[in-house]
Amino acid sequence: MSASAGTARYAGASLETRFLATARSEWIKFRSVRSGPAVLLSAAVILMAGAWLICNGYRDGWATMSPASRASFDPVFMSLRAIEGAQLFVGALGVITVTGEYTSGLIRGTFIATPQRAQVIALKAVIFAAVVWAWCTLLSFAAFFIGQSLLSSPAKHVAIGDPGVLTAVFGGGLYLTAVGLLGLFTGVLLRRTTGALAVLFGILLVMPEALGLLPGQLSEHLGEFLPANGGEEIFHLLHGGAYTLGPWPGFAVDAAWVAAAAAAAFVLVRRRDA
Amino acid sequence: MTETMQATTASAGRPAGPPGRLRARAALSAEWIKLRSLRSMLVTPALAAVFCIGLGSLVCSNHVNAWPTASAATKAAFNPLDTNFNFLVIGVLFFGVLGALVVTNEYGNGVIRATLAATPQRGLILAAKTALLILVALPLSAVIIFAAFLAGEGILAGHLPHVTLADPGVPGRVLGAIFYLTAASLIGLFLGVLARSAAVAMTGVVGVFLVLGTLLDNLPHSDVWRHTVPYIPSNLGDALWLSHTGTTSLASPAVAAVWLVAWVIVLGALAACSLRLRDA
Repeated sequence: MSASAGTARYAGASLETRFLATARSEWIKFRSVRSGPAVLLSAAVILMAGAWLICNGYRDGWATMSPASRASFDPVFMSLRAIEGAQLFVGALGVITVTGEYTSGLIRGTFIATPQRAQVIALKAVIFAAVVWAWCTLLSFAAFFIGQSLLSSPAKHVAIGDPGVLTAVFGGGLYLTAVGLLGLFTGVLLRRTTGALAVLFGILLVMPEALGLLPGQLSEHLGEFLPANGGEEIFHLLHGGAYTLGPWPGFAVDAAWVAAAAAAAFVLVRRRDA
Repeated sequence: MTETMQATTASAGRPAGPPGRLRARAALSAEWIKLRSLRSMLVTPALAAVFCIGLGSLVCSNHVNAWPTASAATKAAFNPLDTNFNFLVIGVLFFGVLGALVVTNEYGNGVIRATLAATPQRGLILAAKTALLILVALPLSAVIIFAAFLAGEGILAGHLPHVTLADPGVPGRVLGAIFYLTAASLIGLFLGVLARSAAVAMTGVVGVFLVLGTLLDNLPHSDVWRHTVPYIPSNLGDALWLSHTGTTSLASPAVAAVWLVAWVIVLGALAACSLRLRDA
């Protein structure tokens, strides 16, 4: 028995086959997350409706705005600003992609079928990121074009070819993907839906808001090293506000948070039971 | 099909069932057992208290430290109660989530099916949950608000302008804050019934109470804006606890209280319909 098991292992699955098999099973599981399509659709509705509402509001109110607020008006950020709402849904999808499997107990079957747990988590993240990035980049472009079509003169608007614009619009999709991955790895770390969501929303929304209440420069200095504040820089065209890291350094802060969560997740998923 | 089944069992069971008073008492005691045995009923209030009282005090002590170097304009604009109660912008999330977890936990572990089988009068279940949540959230918010008020104003006292409960307008805003937090927990409960899942309900609570305001508040204040944005729940809540100096965009406290009650009633009605019509 044990001899045949031994031979089967050496004769069987090459690394490539094993990766493909895991990728395929992770894809089936991701595809069948029950609320998946609804969540991705909600993100689309929020981004489109948000771009419409916000840009419409600024075009109608442009005449009443002060010269200072006209100068600091960022047409790209305003057409993509609904990302701040859509990130809740994308982050929650990342969380439930993992915690749903823990809640239903399916994770035990997964780890029996593929004892290489790091491989499972890595491919789960890759598949999640690929789908979410493609979808959210598409949405980001759609929201940008909706916004710019509404911001007619005299309201400030830009074209896709203007300097920095393409980075910012691609950045919208990248930021949402980073938020989703942060949710996914938080899910691996906490293994429970409510706890993981509370931590994710705490990091993304509560910490910047709480820091904003404190007076003084300390909060501004700390503020831009939070994933949401840093990451948002990438879909800003103007960088004159409180946070001035700039697009790529800001996104690097966000990516560093995701990487830290990933590292912790890879270590802990191998040590703990399911 | 579920609806017809539910309709027939309800009509067949009703004539033989126990009198309404007994049934209500049974539903209340069943809901109470489930409520007090939820782990999140300990964790969420404890986190809420630590966070709210802690952040309220921290903000006040930071202002005390920053006061000597603050500009004259900052000093003139300083409002002791607004500063003290600013934590409510985030604190309200704890109460919304507390309400949502009362029901979504049951959907998560499947107890909801036993609950609905034991008490087919689904409206009664929602009424019992609502009543008990008020019994928990009202004292909890009162304790948190008073503690945060006493701690924050105690820190400000002696260094900066501060207020006491005897000052004009202060009791109203303290009561307004308590009312807002309790209303938020009910809105959370009803969102939980509508969502039937913890993830969607928590996303909804954060979206309604935090993100919606962030996205809409700074738009130019056109006529459309003035007739809509001040009436979203987070802005109604702000109108209850903020001083209204220097702003014309908040509804008056009395109007805000009425609108907040209207939100609770409309969402409660939607939740009751959804609970009766959909399966678990």
